[in-house]
Amino acid sequence: MIIECRDLIKTYQADGRRMNAVDEASFVVQQGEFIFIHGHSGSGKTTLLSLIGGLTSPDTGQVLIDGRDNWQQSDNALSDLRNRTIGFIFQFASLIPALTVLENVLLPMSFGGVAAGARERATQLLVEVGLKEKMHSYPGQLSGGQQRRVAIARAFINKPAIILADEPTGDLDEETEQEIFELFKTFNREQRTTFLIVTHNQHLATTIPGSRVFTMRQGLLKEIQAG
Amino acid sequence: MTTPMLERQINFLDYTLSSLWRKRYKNIAVVLVFAAVIFLLASFQLVSNGLLERAQTALVMAPEILIQKMVAGRQESIPVAYAERLQGIFGIRQVTPRVWGYYFDEVTLANYTVIGRDQVAGGSDDQLTQVLADGRLPAAVGETVLGQAVFRTKGLQDQRVFSLFRPDLSLKTLTITGLFKKESNLLTDDLIVLSLADSRDLFGLPPGLASDLMVSVANPREIGTVAKKIAAALPGTRVLTRPQIEKTYHMIFGWRSGFASVCLLAALAAFFILSWDKASGLAPEERREIAILKILGWQTADVLLVRFFEGAVVSGGAYLLGCTAAYIHVVFFGSSLFLPVLAGWSVIRPDLHLVPAIHLADLLLLFCFTVMPYLAATVVPAWRCASLPSATALQGG
Repeated sequence: MIIECRDLIKTYQADGRRMNAVDEASFVVQQGEFIFIHGHSGSGKTTLLSLIGGLTSPDTGQVLIDGRDNWQQSDNALSDLRNRTIGFIFQFASLIPALTVLENVLLPMSFGGVAAGARERATQLLVEVGLKEKMHSYPGQLSGGQQRRVAIARAFINKPAIILADEPTGDLDEETEQEIFELFKTFNREQRTTFLIVTHNQHLATTIPGSRVFTMRQGLLKEIQAG
Repeated sequence: MTTPMLERQINFLDYTLSSLWRKRYKNIAVVLVFAAVIFLLASFQLVSNGLLERAQTALVMAPEILIQKMVAGRQESIPVAYAERLQGIFGIRQVTPRVWGYYFDEVTLANYTVIGRDQVAGGSDDQLTQVLADGRLPAAVGETVLGQAVFRTKGLQDQRVFSLFRPDLSLKTLTITGLFKKESNLLTDDLIVLSLADSRDLFGLPPGLASDLMVSVANPREIGTVAKKIAAALPGTRVLTRPQIEKTYHMIFGWRSGFASVCLLAALAAFFILSWDKASGLAPEERREIAILKILGWQTADVLLVRFFEGAVVSGGAYLLGCTAAYIHVVFFGSSLFLPVLAGWSVIRPDLHLVPAIHLADLLLLFCFTVMPYLAATVVPAWRCASLPSATALQGG
């Protein structure tokens, strides 16, 4: 197993009340699996991804990546895990405005100390997301959908074992969405990349045979389709 | 071939420069304002150092001991005969009478300082010779040595003979035998040195009287002891020693530069309050950028390193710019902005060309008061932000 969540609880204080964003979530993900998580806004999906990605700590419970508990590691080790093992795709623009498209894609790689062939790989990824001509543009010169595709290319630059994607194709047209998911499937097939994808689009899960589907409601996670 | 570690640092620096370039107008403005503050502080430091160094150089002219006659708390002419009453004091090498005073030149509307003294071999005249640019000290009646400003303001150029008015408005003609060095301008710029007889003649002073008596001693370490003995032998006189004169110079320049520095520190403090206010309240996009970098695998130390580079480029650039501008201002533009405050007021402003020595301790002090606080103001807020969970960058759901 590559990911194991044990009794995860994360609560927030809102309007003087404690709310469970994630309520005793437990599940196991094997390497190479496609996991889809559906749910309404505020149901706790993004919080769950944050917990798995080591971006926020659970109140109780454990997240184990490759058998190691995220929150038993040092801050630097956790940064290293995020850099080498996990690729993030956010639901909002997450590019650095000062850097070109190519530099943004190279960002995790440059500072991870892996330099050989980095530029070629970044260029290839930009070809795959259809943005080769924009590689020297700045984020401010791109549309929202183009920025999303740059973020997707960036998430794959370090060939991570896990991709955590929060509405990765939210503002892309259907054709681009299909292309992106083909790309996901290619990585999954070639590198056995594991995907955890938060999306409103329930149809997407049907395009990937063998994928598992979870729903979240008021912090409660429930598997509705086994792979 | 660069090592991964070096390449990593180069990448950080590259990222920093890109980030600075993105906000270039704001950063250039900060550098300019910061550099201006540093320029003011460094200029004052350099000018006061330069003046003190000049004063030290010029003090070779000062006698080891000076005796002035005091009547009712005011200085009066001293009888040259007083020197005979000092003959019994062991340690005195020489007693030389001196006349000095101010001569107002109606043509140039300037006050010149006139010193009359007879050349004495082996005496303190040897020290005066050290600050001569060319020529020799007056050796006969009718000869004079001038400071640079006197020579310039009177428009003498190739002229070697000129005249001054006695109190009865008759003319006294003098022949120039030398000029003082520019390096001693602080004390010699407005100076006219004559023989004792010529100075008495110029001021209408009776024979047998002088302004003061200069005493040289055999052993410089005995100056204090000899001065006490002189004071005991000549009641009603004021006995000044060279160390006391040096201390006076230090106090005057130290007080002036200290006062000015305090005024400038207020400007510096205002700058830091503003920069701290700017830096401590990171803009939302800056906070999000830090969060994204952390999510992509940057360590807290990496974020701090970039912020440190940013602060170092801005404050280090301002520091270098400010210090260089201050040096150019002091050395090549004669400290035109601050010299009136530090050098005092005079009708003839000394034409100083200060080349102050650069003291590492002064540079370090300035560095600590300017660059270090700015670095803290940029790194500390970033550290606080980078230490927080990065989940704030993820929104929704």
